[in-house]
Amino acid sequence: MRVESLGKRYGRRWLFRDVTFDLEKGQRLAILGDNGSGKSTFLRLLAGLLTPTEGRVVPPEGDPRARLGYAALEMALYAPLTVDEHLALAADLRGCESRADELLDMVGLDHARSLPAAQLSTGMKARLKLAMAVQTRPTVLLLDEPGAALDEKGRALVARIAEEQTQRGTLVVATNDPIERELATHEIVLE
Amino acid sequence: MNPQGRWSREVVAVLRKELRTEWRTKTGLMTGGLYGVCLVLTVVFALINRNVNYFYKATGDHPLQDVCASLIWSIVLFASLLSLPRAFLAEEENGTADLLRLMARPHAVFWGKTLFNLFQTWIGGLLLGGLFVAAVGLDVRHPWLFVLCLLAGGAAVAGAVTLCGAIVAQAANRTALAGAIAIPLLWPLLQWGVAGLQSAIGTGLLRDGISAATGMVCYAVVGLVVGPYLYAAVWKS
Repeated sequence: MRVESLGKRYGRRWLFRDVTFDLEKGQRLAILGDNGSGKSTFLRLLAGLLTPTEGRVVPPEGDPRARLGYAALEMALYAPLTVDEHLALAADLRGCESRADELLDMVGLDHARSLPAAQLSTGMKARLKLAMAVQTRPTVLLLDEPGAALDEKGRALVARIAEEQTQRGTLVVATNDPIERELATHEIVLE
Repeated sequence: MNPQGRWSREVVAVLRKELRTEWRTKTGLMTGGLYGVCLVLTVVFALINRNVNYFYKATGDHPLQDVCASLIWSIVLFASLLSLPRAFLAEEENGTADLLRLMARPHAVFWGKTLFNLFQTWIGGLLLGGLFVAAVGLDVRHPWLFVLCLLAGGAAVAGAVTLCGAIVAQAANRTALAGAIAIPLLWPLLQWGVAGLQSAIGTGLLRDGISAATGMVCYAVVGLVVGPYLYAAVWKS
């Protein structure tokens, strides 16, 4: 993934400008900064959910729905759909295998397959989002404060996912957590 | 899997999601459905012991039948308007739009949601129209035209509301903008819907009814052809 002179402005306020970097396979980038510095916005730009004010994001080759994985705390799930149905929906839309058994076992949600998202705790929702993010074995994985809602086991899961991601491609984490910061090989600080 | 197979898999996935969500939350039923049934009952209470099929022999006027055509179309139209916008606006309001944008292509989302809207308006229109006719005791001279107008009108409303919903979904002041856009979009449907139903009931000329139904079909086709491209243009924030 390549980022060239990326900048985002809301009204007259620039969150960041002229950010350029090239991520190669095996690299893990941490986006750091205070609250309101634009970490989540930066990640959403990389995910293609927002249009930059200036510059551009060059995504990995291929279908971005398969090559990019994204998980964020504020991303909502479909309240009436069950855990299984979320993974099935994601698979059908992306044109890939559901891998529900493998993914739910990995994130520890095997016991909650038939629960609707409305009945999941915040931590369980975070685990489901992680499962959906890695479903296609993406080249680039973007995680926005992945450990924020997770317990110790959950944070260990994030570390494991980060390690697996390194074998496959790159990882970008937006975080204020010093432990998550240590997952990274490189850092960008937004001020 | 070939591209066409993949596309239809995506459309069916969105449609299945919409159907499941509606089945489990009953949002459309509780808004449009309840509204429609209450309106029909209101009319029934007003017309108890009256013969709506009465006409003035001297002038040949059928005032109550003409009003019934207008009432049926109003009930069906506004019941649809209450429930349809949820399909697109709900994604932004519930915060699930990002999830959909990450996984889906805009054309597939548009067609999946539009098929759901069509399903909803057709079921709602036929049930409410049929309930009105049965409850009020209205004679319908051309039942085939009655059904055709409800189906064509439903498709036209679904197309117009889908377009409107896609445009305003990301606007800051959605309600005001939706109202402003909806009025010119719905104006021709109001006229065609009433004219078509009047002809179906028998108070208007058959050829006028067929023209009205044709107009609504063409309107639906235009909305459904333009819609995907417009939706793709406003897909990203």
